[in-house]
Amino acid sequence: MDEPVQQDDDDCPELVPIENDKQIPVTIITGYLGAGKTTLLNFILSEQHNKRIAVILNEFGEGSALEKSLAVSQAGELYEEWLELRNGCLCCSVKDNGLKAIENLMEKKGKFDYILLETTGLADPGAVAAMFWVDADLGSDVYLDGIVTVIDAKYGLQHLKEEKPEGLVNEAARQIALADLAIVNKTDLVEQEALQELRDTVRSINGLVKILETQKSRVDLSEVLDLHSFDSKDSANLAEKLRLMKDSKPHLDKSILTVTFELDGNLSEDVLNIFVQNLLWEKMFHNKEGLPMTVIRLKGIVSLAGKAHQVMLQGVHELYELNELPQLWGDDPRINRLVFIGRNLDKDILQEQFTSTVVAQEKGA
Amino acid sequence: MPRPPLALRLGPIPRMRRPPPAIRPGPPLSPSSLSDSTLSTDGMASLQAKECEADGCCQEAKLQCPRCITLGIQGSYFCSQECFKKNWATHKLLHKKAKEQNNEEPNECAKDVNTDPWPGYRFTGTLRPYYPLTPLRLVPGDIQRPDYADHSRGMSESEQTLKGTSQIKILPPEDIEGMRVVCKLAREVLDIAALMVKPGITTEEIDHTVHLACTARKCYPSPLNYYNFPKSCCTSVNEVICHGIPDQRPLQDGDILNVDITVYHNGFHGDLNETFYVGEVDEGARKLVQTTYECLMQAIDSVKPGIRYRELGNIIQKHAQANCFSVVRSYCGHGIHRLFHTAPNVPHYAKNKAVGVMKPGHVFTIEPMICEGGWQDETWPDGWTAVTRDGKRSAQFEHTLLVTETGCEILTCRLDDKGDAHFISQT
Repeated sequence: MDEPVQQDDDDCPELVPIENDKQIPVTIITGYLGAGKTTLLNFILSEQHNKRIAVILNEFGEGSALEKSLAVSQAGELYEEWLELRNGCLCCSVKDNGLKAIENLMEKKGKFDYILLETTGLADPGAVAAMFWVDADLGSDVYLDGIVTVIDAKYGLQHLKEEKPEGLVNEAARQIALADLAIVNKTDLVEQEALQELRDTVRSINGLVKILETQKSRVDLSEVLDLHSFDSKDSANLAEKLRLMKDSKPHLDKSILTVTFELDGNLSEDVLNIFVQNLLWEKMFHNKEGLPMTVIRLKGIVSLAGKAHQVMLQGVHELYELNELPQLWGDDPRINRLVFIGRNLDKDILQEQFTSTVVAQEKGA
Repeated sequence: MPRPPLALRLGPIPRMRRPPPAIRPGPPLSPSSLSDSTLSTDGMASLQAKECEADGCCQEAKLQCPRCITLGIQGSYFCSQECFKKNWATHKLLHKKAKEQNNEEPNECAKDVNTDPWPGYRFTGTLRPYYPLTPLRLVPGDIQRPDYADHSRGMSESEQTLKGTSQIKILPPEDIEGMRVVCKLAREVLDIAALMVKPGITTEEIDHTVHLACTARKCYPSPLNYYNFPKSCCTSVNEVICHGIPDQRPLQDGDILNVDITVYHNGFHGDLNETFYVGEVDEGARKLVQTTYECLMQAIDSVKPGIRYRELGNIIQKHAQANCFSVVRSYCGHGIHRLFHTAPNVPHYAKNKAVGVMKPGHVFTIEPMICEGGWQDETWPDGWTAVTRDGKRSAQFEHTLLVTETGCEILTCRLDDKGDAHFISQT
């Protein structure tokens, strides 16, 4: 708040350090009931007790709430704050109400070091992520760091195998599909065999996710925080992962799969955009059974004609973005690597569509 | 399995007092960058190194003038206290200027008008609200009402149901006809409001006329009670970006005024707005208003099937930036038909992630808000009035468009004066 300006206006004041630079990471923590999310949260708070961390429980509900509480942990103390979700015109506003409320709170009460958001087991983490995955030019204080899914080692496989009535999504599978980090918790409660089967199933759903195994949600926090999964800071790591990726084989019926392929050459930015839109927005591609391919998560590094820098492609549901990376291609061969995680994906059809439309445009470029 | 209690275990959480209604400044500042490609150059903005502002010094700046922070002056970065001291004589003039700017404009008003309803709130410019407002106006019972009209908090159930979806409706022929009719009526109401714009008239008087013009045409004024908005149209003066609430303030010679009209007729909404000159305006105002109008028309020129919605922002920002203006980011165009605001979302700034490709039968608005200074906005404690953070002026224009097989139809276009906006003849 404003301090009373008593000093003479002619006096030259002491400069203060620039505050606004830092952007605050938001980590979304999801997982089935009882998997260990709250335990993980507590663990993070106690380990990082010298940081100022905000914890929001249960994603923002539908329109009607005026306020939402959040807990702030600082110097070993925990206290409650309020987010004001007053509507005003949420209609033509670009930022989500919840995001604005967090920014407003930070402006009044100072910035946090981390923001952790624990969602309910039924929530679509992709929709929550979309709230925080804002355009860079909006100059938000907050950025989406990553999605962490906690899986119960004992019941996880059962959740994944659960048959849902037609049309309904298996939340457990979706949580894994969207995860940047999967924590398999309570490993002390299962046999090695069961653990291996769970690991394989998770890997088959999401070929990119990092898997950690824990007991009582105790993890090395450097693996959980500062993931930078949605921006360019982790791009060197991503490039490495993509290079080493292999296709997965389905472990479950009607399941979510990871498909990956790589192609040499330059792409035309325009045609790439059209391809991604046809895939994500129009759902134009079908598998051999005629079912539409639905992509949940999309990541890749591509080479665009005329650009010396590598370009990262990121998508969650229908939202996608092309981001120029600091890395140059230089003397490295220009290879495009793409990973698709979703339902009804057919690698051959996808690759063929991609090659015939996008790459063909740039013959000899 | 019952859910374990959510208490985080580091200790009992002391229950804090419910805070008073917030005085809400908006999001903080960050410079923007533009390149011709539509790619984002960095996932995280505003982390570029800042340069010292002192004359002749190009060192990296890690320090900031605290007085500027209090006064809301953007930037003011310096590398060291020494550099700052050397520049102090010129720098302190900025403080003086900012203090003068924020003094309330001299304006004659009746003794019982309150222009300081929020003690402690720091206004960004010279404009003030002129309270109290007249009581909520009624709409005759025989006029069809949108669902939010009778909701205690003005919420629209029909809009809430579709919240978050990006599916864009393709209107069937009957709906298109309904949109043509309502947009024509909305245009009539705006043209009537335009006639009233002159020094001395209050924005509330314009609102009253708008209200009567709507009801005379068997239309419900869409803004009324939309999320509890108290009036029948939005009137935005000078530094107000949008959603200004009509009040007792008389317009002054030299003001620029935007009047935003939306009407509801036979189940459809039609939305448009124009910025007008009040009396004689300065050169800067003319340039701002003219450029804003051009931004809108250039964007409209590009509308046709196959164009991505996200492209419009690139066109608008390019033209605004070429004229040294900035584009407001917090508010965007929107789909409109049976719902006031729905998919698609149409941001007006470059490099946005808007979802959707134009198809024949889509109906949406483009409504760029362009500013003389920075794009950052802030909302008054009334929860609606959006103003520029630096107090400089902002202009806006809006049309409702229908995508056709070959391009688009401007449903809210003016039928006389060759379709020109009113300000063009106001020279």
